[in-house]
Amino acid sequence: MPESLVSASATAPTTVPGAPSEPATDARPGSSAGPLATSSADAARPTSRALRLGVAGPVGVGKSSLIATICRALGAELRLGVITNDIYTDEDARFLRSAGVLEPERIRAVETGACPHTAIRDDVTANLLAAEDLERDFAPLDLVIIESGGDNLTATFSPALVDAQIFVLDVAGGGDVARKGGPGIGRADLLVVNKTDLAPYVGVDVARMVADASAARENRAVVALSRTDDASVAELRSWVLDVLGSFRSGAHVAQDPGPMAPHFHADEDGGYVHSHDEPGAHDHDHAH
Amino acid sequence: MTSAHVLSVAMLLADARLPSGGHAHSASLEPALLGGMPVAAVPAWLVGRATTASLVEAGTAVVTARVLAMADDSGLAGVVGAWAARTPAPALRDAARLLGRGYLRLARALWPEMPAVRAVVAHAAAHGPLPRAVVLGAVAAATGLPPADTVRLTVYDDAQTAAAALLKLEPLDPVAPARWVLDACAAAEPHVPRVAACITPEEIPASGSPQTEGWAQAHALLSQRLFRA
Ligand SMILES: Nc1nc2c(ncn2[C@@H]2O[C@H](COP(=O)(O)OP(=O)(O)OP(=O)(O)O)[C@@H](O)[C@H]2O)c(=O)[nH]1
Ligand SMILES: [Mg+2]
Repeated sequence: MPESLVSASATAPTTVPGAPSEPATDARPGSSAGPLATSSADAARPTSRALRLGVAGPVGVGKSSLIATICRALGAELRLGVITNDIYTDEDARFLRSAGVLEPERIRAVETGACPHTAIRDDVTANLLAAEDLERDFAPLDLVIIESGGDNLTATFSPALVDAQIFVLDVAGGGDVARKGGPGIGRADLLVVNKTDLAPYVGVDVARMVADASAARENRAVVALSRTDDASVAELRSWVLDVLGSFRSGAHVAQDPGPMAPHFHADEDGGYVHSHDEPGAHDHDHAH
Repeated sequence: MTSAHVLSVAMLLADARLPSGGHAHSASLEPALLGGMPVAAVPAWLVGRATTASLVEAGTAVVTARVLAMADDSGLAGVVGAWAARTPAPALRDAARLLGRGYLRLARALWPEMPAVRAVVAHAAAHGPLPRAVVLGAVAAATGLPPADTVRLTVYDDAQTAAAALLKLEPLDPVAPARWVLDACAAAEPHVPRVAACITPEEIPASGSPQTEGWAQAHALLSQRLFRA
């Protein structure tokens, strides 16, 4: 039977269109190399591929809203695409489509088999293929934003998937969360302390929370954000443009916040805290 | 450097932790459960797949490996056509091609110089994504995985994928599906020699399941699902 006779007539909104005619972008050697390959081998070479930006953080902190904010702030000047990793539904994708900030076709949901953390770290294949498809279908794109399914404090993106990542907390989760640390809080390219407009109602001192976060991050970027505070939205906007600029010039190197929080090892001298930043950090023998 | 034993290759390929995108798939189980199949029917359903749908995939992989071993790249189109004709649901073909892309990405990284892998990379570049079974056939050709083991690997992987997905979908003692996976593999065993002996695309078993195809189509239209297919 000629395959075209039964070609995709009942595909879901999220499916990749028309398999038989689908150009095999991923089959061209080199074309599908993830950010990791680009950042190591060709560190200083300008790139034309879209910047892939991850957004992670616990459930309900406002990741989808933040993406909508970025789309609103930059939609006029950048060509955008969004991928969501929903756990049970395509709720995030539908929320973003209904927000009217981007053409609905540019927002795609990827299933994660109930393991959103796996989909951004241990096996990024599904997200990588979705990013390549978006970039191909709407070429050229400037920015592809990938929203991780809301997960716990230890979930961060692998540099095999994204070039840069934002970790989001909100004031309603408590003022001390930033102090607790973790790979995302400590080492994501940007930490957003979200929903600052709610701070008076939940008894959180935003300046204190940002100071704690900055200390935990050794002064990596922190933005205190509220979608109702235009100045904070402008700050977020210029951070995204800065990263995009340095990505395009080839100066940006994808950082891996690491899968694990820095942790404590007891020894005779009282112990030491170690993180998994340094290459070779796993060479020592110990059970985590 | 000596290369890994072919059994080690088979174990690597059968490992659910392999980063090739498989964790987002349920081997048709979620579509079946959402389509109304009772959970109590899962063990029988697994045996059913192992002796029907899995053998279509297995035969496709076996014939692909033979075609590529003869350095006959032109034969690939015939294998893909035979597979597609035996997999009429577009949702299942799309899912298989997505898995094939993930698998090819991995194969290209692990065995970049092997002619069989290069052949499928070139074919996909020219004609579009290949289904997973075809990419598996190329890996079998590249690594010397014997046809009978290619069949067993395909059957096991399909059953284990469904079993792992079941634990995300239904409350269950995790040990129970492990038993069912072994039962499914045992049920397929009498078919192994026949499928392993396939040489031409025409010989690939045409034992797909219309009910599974229908459930897959319905599932692809849902907005609430954990798995891609
Ligand atoms: N007050 C206030 N509420 C906000 C802000 N940003 C988001 N929210 C609200 O926070 C809730 C969660 O927002 P989402 O954007 O869905 O959060 P999320 O992190 O994407 O959630 P999951 O995807 O379910 O993990 C919604 O009710 C939003 O309206 C903000 O700046 N201020
Ligand atoms: Mg969300």
